[in-house]
Amino acid sequence: METNRLQKNITENVWLWLVKIIAGLGIVIFLTIHFIVNHLVAPEGLLSYADILRYYSNPIVPIMEAGFLIFAVVHSLLGLRSIILDLNPSTKVMRFVNPLLIAVGSASIIYGLWLLLVLVQRASL
Amino acid sequence: MNINKPSPSHLWRWFDPRDKSIGTIAFIINRLSAIGLTIYLFLHLAVLSKLVAGSQAYDDFLILAKSPAIKIGEMFVIAGGIIHGLNGIRITINSLGFLLKIQNGLLVGLMIIALAAIVYFAIRMFSGA
Repeated sequence: METNRLQKNITENVWLWLVKIIAGLGIVIFLTIHFIVNHLVAPEGLLSYADILRYYSNPIVPIMEAGFLIFAVVHSLLGLRSIILDLNPSTKVMRFVNPLLIAVGSASIIYGLWLLLVLVQRASL
Repeated sequence: MNINKPSPSHLWRWFDPRDKSIGTIAFIINRLSAIGLTIYLFLHLAVLSKLVAGSQAYDDFLILAKSPAIKIGEMFVIAGGIIHGLNGIRITINSLGFLLKIQNGLLVGLMIIALAAIVYFAIRMFSGA
């Protein structure tokens, strides 16, 4: 049991791999929408603070951006973990890396969602 | 010492293209672009704090963002994103057991599409179109 627990620390769990793949596909979808909005719907791009507030006044936009944020953070940090695992780290290193990645990921998502809420609030004024 | 055993001290081998299959080179490019894109993601999140600081702070930042150095940096992000995204789709398809027999051809085809997309974005960005 202890061996299994240690093994989990230094290998990529199949479920985490699947989450990384699904988040990656989510990023591809949201990035495509992002390019269409920025280069086709708004051909000049979102050029100013006022343009961005106008963009956020559409209720679908914050939902889409929140999804994009979560997918991007999850995919990037799980990917970083895969790279670290490729370097054959010790269990001791992974005991430090795993909680660090969870903390950085959680803080980034909370910070990003807070930014979104501030923009939505300002867009509704 | 087993040179093939993964270890941080063997990291330099990522930058050595000798005796590597096309799949291994694609794997290395995916790892390197992933590191670049991760750094960009967290820089981008930090820069977005300018939005909270108000219109003046953000609009001032946008003027800075139009400088050639930032535009070249953005071009690297776009190139990294396109290459990583398309190669990631190939890795997913192959990992699920599909198109394994044509994985090298698939990689070459997707990288040609990536190159065309990068050239398209570079022309758009630097011609001001």
